[in-house]
Amino acid sequence: MFKLLSYFWDNFKEYVVLVILVIISFILLTQNNNPQVQKVRAVTFGSFAVVTTVIYDLFNTTQIKRENKELREVNAELMLQISALREKGILNSKLKDLAGFKDTSTLPLVPATVVSRTLSQTQNTITINKGIDDGVKPGMPVMNHLGLVGVIHSTSEDFAIARTLKNIDLKLTVKNERSRIDGILIWDGDKLVIINVPKTLDFEKGDRIVTSEVSSIIPIPIPVGAVSEIIPERTGLLNRISVTPFVDVFSVEHVFILQLVQSIQKKELELNFYKMP
Amino acid sequence: MKLKYFIPPIILIPVILVQLTIIPLISIEEVAPDLLLIALVYFSIAYGQLYGTTIGAFYGLAFDLITGSLIGSNMLAKTVAGFTAGYFSADTRRDKYLYTYAFCLVVLLCSIINSLIFSFFSVIDFNTNFIVVLFNHSILPSIYTTIFSILVVIVPHRRSYI
Repeated sequence: MFKLLSYFWDNFKEYVVLVILVIISFILLTQNNNPQVQKVRAVTFGSFAVVTTVIYDLFNTTQIKRENKELREVNAELMLQISALREKGILNSKLKDLAGFKDTSTLPLVPATVVSRTLSQTQNTITINKGIDDGVKPGMPVMNHLGLVGVIHSTSEDFAIARTLKNIDLKLTVKNERSRIDGILIWDGDKLVIINVPKTLDFEKGDRIVTSEVSSIIPIPIPVGAVSEIIPERTGLLNRISVTPFVDVFSVEHVFILQLVQSIQKKELELNFYKMP
Repeated sequence: MKLKYFIPPIILIPVILVQLTIIPLISIEEVAPDLLLIALVYFSIAYGQLYGTTIGAFYGLAFDLITGSLIGSNMLAKTVAGFTAGYFSADTRRDKYLYTYAFCLVVLLCSIINSLIFSFFSVIDFNTNFIVVLFNHSILPSIYTTIFSILVVIVPHRRSYI
């Protein structure tokens, strides 16, 4: 028996090792949501991100001049917008007082810098320099001045990994700002698309797409992109709505984390609804 | 245990650092070379198929953990890529494939295999044009990786003239 095993190992050891490692890979693929695996991941990327930050900062200094120019332009645009919004804000505040509404416009934002990124076209992620110690939690939206960048996926003490819009594992409920129609936005590996949209629904080229209030991940409207193409499905009943994102996730450097996670009370209510007999 | 077998795990850290920080700066239209794969092919040819397969799994798992990718997807892709590269590692073939431009062809082959497996486990939506997806996700990054791998062939040659 030992001889047979020895013969087998001597002649096929490469294949044996390959099969064992492939099986381990498959097992790990099924264990991605395991808390222990998540913990190992948090420790690994947290430790590594410390080193990445130093190198990224070193190379990033060369881009500061270009970035400053862009920021000055954005600053000027924002100043004009603020003036207009201030007028509207005063009026809005008065109207809210009259109607007895609560003010819900104050949202906590945490500024962060991207310290590393993967250029995977299917599983694009960014690592940012804010983590649990700064109050960052999985599920929080990541955005910049143009719109949504992604959603926090994993956190360590000082760093967090966010899945960007160009990650096939990120699925968002969005809505058409003009027609108020909801849909599911995914990254199909090639472009951002709203899937399974009945042909009768009102979508037009150029419509702004924002995150929907019914989303279980991002419950406030954040700009995502604009409709660029309406593609008919092969079945003939549905359309796929192609969306051009406002943010170029491959070049984004400075982001804000919106410290907002879905209300537990709302989640519980939804769960209760499904639990009803 | 020979000391040289410890070099690939040690090299992993600087390679991933460069891949995550510097390589994005030289990406063209979101297509970037895969330094990890070039290192893997090199070590697979240099140290043999068994070692290449094992180090492929190690490199892939480490990359999955560090970058937040689906754990196991890069591990599987790089294990098979390392195994494939190992076929070019026999004693008689090693010099032929390690320091000649044939190395770039091995990198091209392994890169396509690596990208195809990784893309498959990324669950690409097959409603899109499969040929376009194949081209964007496998062929283009593989070609860029292959061009980058020329450095591995050129640098040791120059060193030998000194």
